[in-house]
Amino acid sequence: MLIRETIRTALRSLASNRLRTALTTLGMVIGVAAVVAVLAIGEGARASVESRIRALGANLLLVRPGTAQRGGIRGGSVETLTAADGEAIAELSGVVAVAPESSGAAQVKHRSANANKSIVGTSPSYFEVRSVGIASGVGLTELDLRTRRRVALLGANVANELFAGQSPLGERVQIQGVSFQVVGVLAPKGDAGYASPDDQVIVPLTTHQGVLFGRDYVGSLAVQLESEDRSDEVQSHIENVLRLRHGIRPGAEDDFHVRSQTEMLETMGEVTGTFTALLGSVAAVSLLVGGIGIMNIMLVSVQERTREIGVRMAVGARRRDVLLQFLVESIIVSLFGGAVGLVSGYAAAELVARFGGWDTIVPVHASALALGTSALVGLVFGVGPARRAARLDPVEALRHE
Amino acid sequence: MTEVLAVEQLEKVYHPDRPEISVRAVDGISFTVERGESIAIIGPSGCGKSTLLHILGCLDRPSRGVYRLGGRDVAQLDDDELAAVRNRHIGFVFQSFNLLPRLTAVENVELPLLYAGAERPRDDALAAVARVGLGDRASHLPAELSGGQRQRVAIARAIVTEPSILLCDEPTGALDSKTGREVLDLLRALNAEGTTLVVVTHDLGVAAAMDRSIRLRDGRVEADGPSGDVLRASSPLLVEGAS
Repeated sequence: MLIRETIRTALRSLASNRLRTALTTLGMVIGVAAVVAVLAIGEGARASVESRIRALGANLLLVRPGTAQRGGIRGGSVETLTAADGEAIAELSGVVAVAPESSGAAQVKHRSANANKSIVGTSPSYFEVRSVGIASGVGLTELDLRTRRRVALLGANVANELFAGQSPLGERVQIQGVSFQVVGVLAPKGDAGYASPDDQVIVPLTTHQGVLFGRDYVGSLAVQLESEDRSDEVQSHIENVLRLRHGIRPGAEDDFHVRSQTEMLETMGEVTGTFTALLGSVAAVSLLVGGIGIMNIMLVSVQERTREIGVRMAVGARRRDVLLQFLVESIIVSLFGGAVGLVSGYAAAELVARFGGWDTIVPVHASALALGTSALVGLVFGVGPARRAARLDPVEALRHE
Repeated sequence: MTEVLAVEQLEKVYHPDRPEISVRAVDGISFTVERGESIAIIGPSGCGKSTLLHILGCLDRPSRGVYRLGGRDVAQLDDDELAAVRNRHIGFVFQSFNLLPRLTAVENVELPLLYAGAERPRDDALAAVARVGLGDRASHLPAELSGGQRQRVAIARAIVTEPSILLCDEPTGALDSKTGREVLDLLRALNAEGTTLVVVTHDLGVAAAMDRSIRLRDGRVEADGPSGDVLRASSPLLVEGAS
């Protein structure tokens, strides 16, 4: 029998029992929708992490303190990284600029408006190294740094919250009770990330350390390279310089980490990838359940239509015609469920993006994956019932009531 | 006369390896059917009529003996070849019609042609439906047809591939006497046009309408000859059971 006729027969048989067909596909619908939604959330997370890391600036190495190790006990982060380390690194060839960063949370007030924001102390090179633009006003100067001036640049969100649309330039804000003059507003980055510059207040590093938080170390050093090609070489130079400056004996562990953007991307990619795989496999279990549901209904269908199978055999259906008919039926049910699931998955991803505030991107291959998987599920779980139908004895089948 | 089919020493034993429930349903039957004949197979319940019909229809295989259809030994054929034989050389008419309820009359008739891979199945099916006098009911579902009409559709389905033999299992068994007679007339008309007819029946009226009757008892041929002779010699028990 022609495959076209087989498909038509299958569609007709499925259409004759719409409610049952719909309920049968439900398992597949849920399974495929869950997988697609999880993939979309995973892909969205990956993309947003990537864009966040890229937003940190181009050709960047990040030096961060390592874990302290004293007498074999690891604990906390060490406080050995200083602005002077940064200056030493800036001398290295291949390094364009170094921006030391020290951050701490503090209350920022302007008149009655106040907000708890991350206060970042840094040097004038910060804006270039981190690719942070200045929307209005000016950046930090060497003079600001040397004289511990109490000047601040506000992130776009901070400016909005405290000044509600008015220009904050020249106004004063209180940070932990200390009065600062606003000299600039940062250009919005639009990245809703945890460490977004939009929610930061930038002050001179010396002011940050001396006036606000009373520290002499920094949280990290952002190193801008001439080009990405020499990244590995410069990275090892930095490590040498820091080991020397920190007096680390050969063989002892570094008390700092130097990480490139590529490494950060890879690490974050691994983390989100693992999450996606984990959630995806949980979702895939529901595909299995859906497949079992299909098999169950196909077995019932074979049982119910035993006589029909007998009649078909009597008028000339070969065993493989019967096999194909039931197989096509289960694949169609499954594919249909997969298609509906795909659409629901898209919709779910869209809802999550709109109301959950998560970025979701349905990967290009998701459609092919969803439909392919559901066809496969139909095939795998349809084979058993279809074989049972094909193996029926025609005489027995015709006698069946 | 040309031989359409022949059986020689045909045997069918159910459960041959378990003597306590083993049944010898067909026990050495031999006869030949010539083209254009109309034959009734009669006999009391359990005489092996149905088993014989299933073997003749290639739905079942004999345990022993020879079954030749159109010169070929059917016992040698595999499942696919048997399906092809059922498709092209045999037309089945059942007591309970066995139409597929979700297909219209013409679609039911079309079914064998689809399995045969025919080029224009719909046209041939419509022609067959018209041949049994249901041209105006072609697109009705079986549920929308009377019993007699359903059996006509079933007959159309049986003859649509121009089989060499039409096998009928109690074709009038589920019909009242008037429509039963109409169906019988149709079968006779087809026979008159050249279709070879083998009818298994309890109904001696049906048997009398055939040229030849074969009476079975306990899986053997008890009588074989012109219907008039065989029926006159029939046991009163059978006559009572049929009336």
